[in-house]
Amino acid sequence: MAILEARNVTKVYETRGVETPALRGVDLEVEAGEFSALAGPSGSGKTTLLNLFGALDEPTTGSVILEGQCLGELSAMELADLRLHKLGFVFQAYNLIPVLTARENVEFVMELQGVKPRERQERAEKLLAEVGLADLGAKRPLEMSGGQQQRVAVARAIASGPRIVLADEPTANLDSKTAGQLLDLMHTMNRERGVTFLFSTHDPMVIDKASRVVRLVDGRISADERR
Amino acid sequence: MRLILRLAWRNVWRNPRRTGLTVSATVFAVLLVIVFVSMGAGIHEQMIEDAVRLSSGHASISGRGYLENRTLEQFIDFDPELARQLDATEGVVGWAPRVVGFGLLSSGPDTHGIAVLGVDPDRERWVTTLPERVRDGRFIGQPGGREIVLGARLAKSLEVGLGDEVLLYSVAYSLEMAYELFTVVGTMKLPDSAMERGLAVVHIADAQAFFVYGDRVTEVAILAGSADDTAQIVSAVSAGVGDEVEVHGWPEIMPELVQFIFLDDAGMYIMLLILVVVVAFGILNTLLMSVLERRREFGVALALGLRPRAIFVLVYLESMALAALGLALGLGIALPLVLYLVGHPIDLDNEAMKGAYEMLGFEPRISWKLKPTHPLGSAITIFGVAALAALYPAFKASRARPVDALRSV
Repeated sequence: MAILEARNVTKVYETRGVETPALRGVDLEVEAGEFSALAGPSGSGKTTLLNLFGALDEPTTGSVILEGQCLGELSAMELADLRLHKLGFVFQAYNLIPVLTARENVEFVMELQGVKPRERQERAEKLLAEVGLADLGAKRPLEMSGGQQQRVAVARAIASGPRIVLADEPTANLDSKTAGQLLDLMHTMNRERGVTFLFSTHDPMVIDKASRVVRLVDGRISADERR
Repeated sequence: MRLILRLAWRNVWRNPRRTGLTVSATVFAVLLVIVFVSMGAGIHEQMIEDAVRLSSGHASISGRGYLENRTLEQFIDFDPELARQLDATEGVVGWAPRVVGFGLLSSGPDTHGIAVLGVDPDRERWVTTLPERVRDGRFIGQPGGREIVLGARLAKSLEVGLGDEVLLYSVAYSLEMAYELFTVVGTMKLPDSAMERGLAVVHIADAQAFFVYGDRVTEVAILAGSADDTAQIVSAVSAGVGDEVEVHGWPEIMPELVQFIFLDDAGMYIMLLILVVVVAFGILNTLLMSVLERRREFGVALALGLRPRAIFVLVYLESMALAALGLALGLGIALPLVLYLVGHPIDLDNEAMKGAYEMLGFEPRISWKLKPTHPLGSAITIFGVAALAALYPAFKASRARPVDALRSV
């Protein structure tokens, strides 16, 4: 069953009167439990599609549907709630909140969800242990390596219990060894916790590991390969 | 909300140097506001006190129209009932009946136009400082003695000294010519040089006899415990007197002093306004820089589900935290300093300054008065400024689209 759908989605960016099409009619369904990758060269529209799926941007035409609900019909407040409860994000540049510790970063979304302090602390500590950072909960992002920060970001992404985690080039800033470890971690979460992952990537390591690879070229799907 | 508070507080300390500079500017502003406003209040209170204790009192009872005309025609019959009423009025510290007239005073070939103030010396001591201002000789004594105390400059102009006789002549209430010899028993040093050149004090009974005034008086001066009690006393006394009598507070008796205080306050508040605007721009600059630097972070927070309104509140709280820090430190420095200055007014030694004060009729002294409204007013001003300065940065931060904010470097 599809949890996320793009129906004939187009996206055109306009800068000083010049229109640049990023997506030219994309139809795609993502099913629960997938470990999928949107692959393609730079400018192919991977990140644009991921942003539309993440309710961070609106399509020019077409619609994006999350669990049967069309995102275009929701207000800014409803979209914020939807992102909080149903979506998890992992960004290329980690994007942890620098004034919060690793544990507080993981707790952040749970606090917004209204989870009680003791419960969210226990859950954050458990998640940090799961990503191999049990001892680094009190560290702030700037005191951690890039790989450690991205692990915290993964823990934060799944802390809210989302229906799907959207990861935009999560390994791009990491060395291959760290990238491999992070990928294994997310793969384990996909298998053992049933978390759905959708990556945008051009990293061959991610593409090899993905159970489905959707290739984009010039804003169109050129191939959809299930493994 | 606790999350937003925690974030705001930590963000304030993210760039300690920038926060330090903004807080320092606020501390400086609070310090200057408190010191100058309380100095203004102290100086003005001292001016009012000097002026009312010099001659007018905080309030006066007089015949209708006396304040505008100041002639013997507007008089009051000072009866024991009015005296009882004044004694019973809350806030009244003392009262003194007076006869005020005008005339010419001569000694040998020299003649000067003067104001003749007829006072009851025992009562006058409760209201004004005139008896204390005698430098040579003594204040007037018993009624019927034809004694006169002159302003020092007047005595000098007339070239008279203690024991000399001077001739006072005027038009009496009966419109007859009145003239009488008085003996100089003292000279007064007065802060108002014009007054020192033109005032002569005699016993009220001698003045009533000279002006053929019977038991009438032209005014009754009232001293209050504090200038703040004036309105209440005027209202209470007015309620108990007839239509032919008027009761005025010091602001009506000395409108020029009210105007001087108003202009002085206006100048001070314009200066403080400029200072506060500088602080507002300091806070605005800090917040704008901080917001621009964190655009990406706001994008992440929005992507994670934080509502735009929470971003607005976050930036607003940061502004309030900056203001609160500056205010707390500013008050921490300003209040002990001003409390010390309240107890230690500064006497002016500089001759030019001293002369300027004396020319205006005031003691050459800088005083401070701290009212609860001063720290309260500073707090409201600083928080108001911080609230205004935060509006644009908070609005800008909260209106960012997550996708645009995430793209920013």
